[in-house]
This record gives sequence, structure tokens and C-alpha cells, in this order.
Amino acid sequence: MVAYIQPLPGAPALAVESLRKVFPGRRGVVAVEDASFAVDAGEIVGLLGPNGAGKTTIIKCALGLVRPTAGRATVFGHDVRRNAAGVLANAAAVLEGSRNVYWRLTPWENASFFASLNGLPVSDPATRRYLEAMLERFGLGPVKNSQVRELSTGFKQKTAVVSALARRTPLVFLDEPTLGLDVETSLELRSLLREMVAEEGRTVVLSSHDMDVVQDVCRRVVVVSGGRVIADQDVEGLLDLFRSRRYRLVLDGPVAAETREYLERLDSQVSVAASPAGTTVQIQLNSAAQLYELVDLVRRSGLLIETIVQSEPDLEQAFLELVRKERAPK
Amino acid sequence: MSRWHAFRGILRRNLVTMRRYMFNTLSSMATLYIVFLMLFFGARAVAGADFALSGTQDGLIVGYFIWSLAIFAYSELAWGLSNEAQQGTLEQLYLSPFGFRFVNACNVVSNLSITLLLNLLLLLAAMATVGRWLTIDLVSLLPVLVLTLVGVVGFGFAIGGLALVFKRIQAFFQVVQFVMVAFIAAPWSTIPWARYLPLAMGNHLARQIMSDGVRLWQLDRGDLVVLLVTSLAYLGLGLAAFGLAEGAARERGLLGQY
Repeated sequence: MVAYIQPLPGAPALAVESLRKVFPGRRGVVAVEDASFAVDAGEIVGLLGPNGAGKTTIIKCALGLVRPTAGRATVFGHDVRRNAAGVLANAAAVLEGSRNVYWRLTPWENASFFASLNGLPVSDPATRRYLEAMLERFGLGPVKNSQVRELSTGFKQKTAVVSALARRTPLVFLDEPTLGLDVETSLELRSLLREMVAEEGRTVVLSSHDMDVVQDVCRRVVVVSGGRVIADQDVEGLLDLFRSRRYRLVLDGPVAAETREYLERLDSQVSVAASPAGTTVQIQLNSAAQLYELVDLVRRSGLLIETIVQSEPDLEQAFLELVRKERAPK
Repeated sequence: MSRWHAFRGILRRNLVTMRRYMFNTLSSMATLYIVFLMLFFGARAVAGADFALSGTQDGLIVGYFIWSLAIFAYSELAWGLSNEAQQGTLEQLYLSPFGFRFVNACNVVSNLSITLLLNLLLLLAAMATVGRWLTIDLVSLLPVLVLTLVGVVGFGFAIGGLALVFKRIQAFFQVVQFVMVAFIAAPWSTIPWARYLPLAMGNHLARQIMSDGVRLWQLDRGDLVVLLVTSLAYLGLGLAAFGLAEGAARERGLLGQY
């Protein structure tokens, strides 16, 4: 990486500390509320949350594009309010997808322009080779001299990502990098991001509301909802939390009203779907003991359990569970 | 890593953009030329035989040249900021470690250099059309023009700052362009304080150089000081206004919005 203001030794790539942002107005919109988390150098972390959760505001606060109401965010030890140059020499971002590049310029012109904005000598053969290689790697080689406005959505998005990477900063924020892409291009972009992180050792904070993207690319996830950080752990650990307690039962007949009430007491969000073949119950239990209670109850009601499967949750389920709990009245 | 590379990158981008929007550039120049012809022949028809002798002809040529330069300089900043916000590239410019002010200053300098060249061509065309060749003493003229434009740039920063916060203010942009005509035409021989208006002193001095062949060192020192101080003051005020607007935009999260 090239950073003319070096990272402070031992500092995390990104540290968000008690960050709060209230957008002024008659009512004052709370976008971020007491958010704290850290990202170590070389990590690839997903910032996951529904639309309006505060993901983009957190990123923009870290980059100095939005002024926090309280708390702070540092990039490699540099606080944007004290040393904006230190932050911006070490961090780049894709914030608005393909809108972040000039559509009248070509991918090559965009990449070299944004590299030069960070003071990189575009006429230098080493910089040119790097930019050429990056464009080739992202499949933009054949269209590098076409104007961006003439390219497909996927190429436009890739141009935006390459233009952010061209700044050669050790930390890169990618805000919804696959938004609007078709499945194939999205998969290709994810794979490229993984390769790039592995080879160049960059730190990536990838914000998305697309669970597949985060699950596919990131090792760790910070879940944000309502401006708060509601979970911060590695993706596998987060899935484990839900893996052990979610069950799907198929019963051989309809469930009685009392049984249904009992199920709802165990999990207010229980799903009971009746069909001519039987009844499918999907339930989230709090402990293993509750599973025995449930089996006893079914037996007492005279029904047979045809199948019982422990659900394999994906990140989407885990995320929905977390958000649902966060939003439930306390 | 250096600021020089950043400046070169911005100049290169501006040249490429101008080439890609060639029709827009040429049509702007053509429009300015046609408007000049209409003004010139209209004024000559009204003033009759005295038009050339009274100095009105030279005043019109110089005033129009200064105004067209000012329009380009001001528009590049005010419209430029607004366009960057609209395109979604403004925040990316803010991500330069050299700071947005530096990026914008490079943008202004590179655009002004291009504008100056184009407007000198426009001036030559205007002079050729009306058959009155004014003195183009670049050693004397350039410092006066640059100082005059410094004040306009301040104006552009202030209006650009408003665009960051209020977004759709294009109608206001256009009104300001016509206010500049009033600044140039301000009769400060009868209204003494009018000399402190943007463009007024610059226009007066440029006219002395171009029409009367006065050299830079022969200009009135007091007038030069007024030009220097007012231009720097307008630049300072413009930058301060821009800083306030930028702060409000960061506070309200408006930099990336349009």
C-alpha cells in the first residue's frame, strides 16, 4: 500500500468509539446511537443492516464527510477532526456506486484521476502498471478506453471499485458495492474482492444489506440496526448462535388450539402451516430442555412427529432474528 | 506522493472533459460572440457617429471581455460544485488527503488558464469584427485580469457553498451573472464607493491598459491597491462563506446529496 501519512503503529484500521450522530432538524433524526467497534488491519468486515440502519453514516463520519454529534472514529489511529489528511491518506471509499465516477471519462481516465487525487504519479511506469493490472483483473481491460456512460451497469460499478482501489490506501470502505448488479456480476465482484484482499493485505469494510454478499466475502460482521451495533462477531459464530436452536417439525395432523397456544408461548414468532399432508412447525427455542417439552407436548396431543430437522440458518435468518429482537418492545 | 501530481491529474481531467463536451464549449463561445455582436451593433445604432469617439466602443469591448471571463470563472466554481454533487463525485473529491480546498483551487487554476486562452480568442474575434484593435499587453494585462478574477473566484466559492446546502439554486446562479454586468458598469466616477464592487476596478484598469495603452507600472498605485485589497477581501469572504456552508453540509450530511 502507498500512504504518505503512515498508519500509527499498533492502531486498529478502524476504531469507532461511542459514535452518535443526530441530523439536525425540527425533530432531530438519530442516525447513529452509541456505536462502538474496531476493525484490525487485514480484516474484511461486513457492516450489515437494513436500509436506514446507520451504516453509511458511520462510514461517512469516519471519513469526515459527516460531522459526528458525539464520539469519534479513527483510521489507523488518525482522528478525522484532528488529522483529516492522515485519515484520507489511509482510506478510500465507494459511497454511491457507479455515481462515484465520471461517466464522460473512461475507466482508465477515472482510475488515473482518482489515483492522482491521492498524489500518485500516474506517469510513473510502476503506477501505470498497477492501474493496468487492476483494470485487467476486474475485466475492464477491453473497455478501459470507452467512456463509462457507454458501459453496462456491472462495468460502471467495477470502474467505481477500481477507482477507489487505485488510490492504494490500506483501508477501503465499500458501501453497497454490488447494489443493482445481476447475480453473475455480483458473484464475480465478490470473488475479486476476496482475491484482492488476500493478495494485497488491505483492510475492507463492506457495508451491505445483502446478506449473501457479506456471508460470502466477510469473516466478521458488525450488525447495525436503528443506529445501534446489535452484534459484532465472526460470521460463523453468529450463525452458530442460531444454528442450535431453530427447528422444523412436520406433524401428521392439525394442531389443537391449546398446543398452538403453548407453541406461541415458547416462541411468539412461531410459524405453523397446515396442509393436507400434515402441519409444518418452525420454531425458535431458547434451550435444549424446551425441545424435550415440545416433543412431550406433541406426544400428549396424539400427533406423530414425521420429521424433525434442526434448521441450518444463513446469515439472513440470523440477521432477521437479531433485528426482530432489537425492535421488539422492551 | 505530491500535490503536483494531484494538480496534473485535475488539469488532465479538465482538458479531457472539455474535449468530450466540445460542442458545449464551442456553443458557449459562439453564444458569447453573437451576444457581443448584438450588443455592439445595437449600441452603435443608438449612439450614432459618437459611438467610436466617445470611448463607448472600447468600453463595451473591454467590459464584455471582462464579463465573459468572469462568467466562465464564476460558473466553473458555482455550477461545477453543483454538478459534482449531482453526479455523485463531490464526496470523492473530498476524499483527497490534500483537502477539498486544494482540489478546488487546482480546479479553479486549471479552468481559469483554459478560460483565459479561450476568452483571448473571443476578444480577438470581437476586435476583428468591429475593426478596432486594442492593446493586448500581456505583461500589464495578465496581473490585472488575474487579480480581478481572484475576486470573482471568491464570489464563486460563496455561491458554490450555497449550492452545497440548498442544492437547486440554478435560477440564483443566473441572476448573479447579470448582477456582474452591473458591477462592471458601475459608474464609480459619480458613486465613489462603487469602485470597491467586484470587477469594477479590474474593468477600469483593464480598459486603461487595452484602450489607452497604459503599462502596468504607469497605472495609479491607489487603484492597484484597491484592486488588490478588494479582490483578496472578496476571495477571503467567499472562502469564509464556503467554509460555513461546508460545515453546515457536513453537519446535515448534505455533501453527497442532491
